[in-house]
Amino acid sequence: MKVVGRELPRVEIFEKVTGQSVFGADVSPGGKVLYGKMVLSPHAHARITAVRTERAERLPGVRAVVTAADVPAVRYGKFVRDEEYFASTKVRYVGDRIAAVAAVDEETAEEAARLVEVDYEVLPAVTSGLEAMEPDAPLIHDGYADYWTQPSVEDRRGNVCNHKQLLRGDVEAGFAEADRIFEHRFHAPMVHQTYIEPHTALARFDASGRATVWVPTQAQFPLRDAIAEILDMPMTKVRVIPTEIGGGFGGKISPTVEPAAVALARKARAPVRIVMGRGEDFQTTNPRHPFHLRYKTGVKLDGAITAREIEVVLGTGYSSGSGVMISQGAAVRAPGPYRIPNLKIDSYCVYTNTPTCGAYRGPAGPQLAFASESQIDIIARELGIDPAEMRLRNAMEDGDETPAGAPLEDVHVKETVRKAAEALDAAPRAAGANIGRGMAAAHWLVGGMASSAGVKLNEDGTFAILTGLVDLSGASTSLAQIAAEVLGVSLDDVHVRTADTDFAPHSTISAGSQALKSMGGAVLLAARDVKRQIQQVAADKLEADAGDLEVGENKVFVKGSPERSVSLREVGRAALEHQRGPIVSTQSVSRLVPHPAVAAHAAEVEVDPETGHVRVLRYVAVQDVGTAVNPLSVRGQIEGGVMQGLGQALSEACTFTDGKMDNRNLLDYKIFSALDAPPVEVHLIQHPCATGPLGAKGVGEPPIIPPPAVIANAVFDAVGVRIHDLPVTPEKIVRALKTKRAEQQP
Amino acid sequence: MAGERIAITVTVNGEDYREEVPATRSLLDFLRDDLALTGTKEGCGEGECGACSVILDGRLVDACLVFAAEADGRRVETVEGLADGGDLHPLQRTFAAAGAAQCGYCTPGMLMACKALLDKNPSPTRDEAAHGIAGNLCRCTGYGTIIQAVMEAAKES
Repeated sequence: MKVVGRELPRVEIFEKVTGQSVFGADVSPGGKVLYGKMVLSPHAHARITAVRTERAERLPGVRAVVTAADVPAVRYGKFVRDEEYFASTKVRYVGDRIAAVAAVDEETAEEAARLVEVDYEVLPAVTSGLEAMEPDAPLIHDGYADYWTQPSVEDRRGNVCNHKQLLRGDVEAGFAEADRIFEHRFHAPMVHQTYIEPHTALARFDASGRATVWVPTQAQFPLRDAIAEILDMPMTKVRVIPTEIGGGFGGKISPTVEPAAVALARKARAPVRIVMGRGEDFQTTNPRHPFHLRYKTGVKLDGAITAREIEVVLGTGYSSGSGVMISQGAAVRAPGPYRIPNLKIDSYCVYTNTPTCGAYRGPAGPQLAFASESQIDIIARELGIDPAEMRLRNAMEDGDETPAGAPLEDVHVKETVRKAAEALDAAPRAAGANIGRGMAAAHWLVGGMASSAGVKLNEDGTFAILTGLVDLSGASTSLAQIAAEVLGVSLDDVHVRTADTDFAPHSTISAGSQALKSMGGAVLLAARDVKRQIQQVAADKLEADAGDLEVGENKVFVKGSPERSVSLREVGRAALEHQRGPIVSTQSVSRLVPHPAVAAHAAEVEVDPETGHVRVLRYVAVQDVGTAVNPLSVRGQIEGGVMQGLGQALSEACTFTDGKMDNRNLLDYKIFSALDAPPVEVHLIQHPCATGPLGAKGVGEPPIIPPPAVIANAVFDAVGVRIHDLPVTPEKIVRALKTKRAEQQP
Repeated sequence: MAGERIAITVTVNGEDYREEVPATRSLLDFLRDDLALTGTKEGCGEGECGACSVILDGRLVDACLVFAAEADGRRVETVEGLADGGDLHPLQRTFAAAGAAQCGYCTPGMLMACKALLDKNPSPTRDEAAHGIAGNLCRCTGYGTIIQAVMEAAKES
């Protein structure tokens, strides 16, 4: 291949390095833009007894105040309709929306927000998923039994809004067959995506009754649908224009301030911009679900796993959000990338008085892998088996099935694990005490969602891709590389920019590592069809048979006689006069067969037993990526994913007091800086995948999944203490070492 | 909410701007809202993320923590001034080639941090490069490609 597989800079890179890219807060629609500000609940759980907006409305400079009274009484939610946009009778977390204001400047908007008066009757709150399952826990949704749900939502009781159970084989028989049985509990806290661009939206409401919303979103079509549903508008009266997006990582899928901006713009008859402050962004958006996990595993003495019983309790927050889907997916991936004959998996999605969690990159992945892969490490050590060998002994292979019974192909667990072990072993251990090594493996399942894309030949012989896919992580460049490959041109000859919901063909969301699979599939079909059309037009020009023509180097030529050729530019012009007309094709895909994408990581760390500080000396990330369409992008995804994963391993956790996030700023919520970041050694395992465009697999999610388990395992190897509760902080290590020393005292 | 307004003259990317600004206006809002130079980004408004990094009289600052009035009579360099006409700054070229910008939101501030570093220390070690960008958070790249871009730009100039 000539274009696919090459490390090419992203198509939009020069706008980015010159400051010309237009992000959410950079849009200027013309005319005076009002400042919008949300009014949020200070209580985790309270009944609303009165909302008074008069004082806010009377403040000079205020143009609109909206509350539940200004929007239809719509209850929404994809799986359970349990969410109100503005709280009407009850608030369910600190940050629940009460009202929004729009004013001529920021200070006035802030003052107006303070002047909205709300009377509350405070109720007992529950912020932990486990506690919310207790029989005497406060009920967060009193009327839950009457809510509409999707048919896949099962077994709702009290605060449990979904319970997914998966059974394979006979788990009791599997435990009876085991030589040893291990049971452990783990906890992974809520962590936040912490994209550098906070949530923002700019809305305009036309005299014709149409709303236009400029917003950095990963999911422009679902966002359009959600705004229309919340405001009870016809779907196509809402136009979402996606701006350049300053990081999403799953945090910019669900609606946040957009409906409020539209409601304010409608009432104020002027464009309204809302920009979240960093504290508001931490407190009110869609972070990663906190998980309580219990893993019980039976093994033979040779390391073969006979059975696994797994319980997952996921705290979804004040509404189900994507929690139902993620708890269902968690059940499928909980056993890890292994062939296990007997399984019993229970996954509970539970309401809590906290922000509603969302789909942070690799949803459920890091939490499950932390538990599963820590336990695999514990078992391997107990049985005296090398941890890599233990994984290889149980690794799933082609033809194995997921716990839900879906067959898997293109499975490369063994090769990926072997490479990670080999790469770490390639250098000797660092000298000195308290050095440790650990590894972990995990898989992600990459599906495909409804997508359409177009390719057209321009009259100058270049091409354009018609797409509505938000370019989150280099997808536009990869789509252009796929089209360029098929059409025999260079990347410079393919123009690609994301169009909005009014003008783009329906495109999938940029999430779940499936964007390239879905949209790449549609682009591949469209490019091939365009190529056929080019050959037909050229055939008439060259008086040759279309089947004898090849396309390459910006021209069409007769196989074997390259001097008989016509340029793409001539074909583009000729098509206008030709019977068939301009050359364009739009193609669609949907419901693609999922493929597994595997990551195996290994690291060497040094632990200071006095301070508990962990230094990552080496980090190896091996990933099964199919065909790497653009290895520069693929490596970039892996390095960045590893760094976010290391943050979850070592420093990140949203902590709450009375439902209010304590560390809602970038000083106290510690993401990795350049000084924390170890170099990452990346190895790509490339076997073309049968179900991906030109063999590509999804790459974005897998690299964030193994790091917490890798670090926990390496820390144990270094100093002999096992941390079951993320993150692996210096305090926890020091405390565990102290306990260990006390236990060793005679 | 008018408040006191102050007349200032600030040289931004070599051009003089005379404006009247409220005393509490930040340099960041001055650049973005008054001069429509939206290349400089806001990530936190509290001086913790570095997205708004600009160079003020040769020194790297967070524009969100500096009052516009403090820039009176001084020189400000932003991402919009990095390229010399059509010629990109070496850092802009090496960022592009190394894949050092992904979402691109931290990139303007990151580029200014790297420029401030190279202006003072034209051939930094990798460790010095990491220290040079320690105040600039990036959530996409993992920093390795950014440090690589700095090292390559240092080689070029």
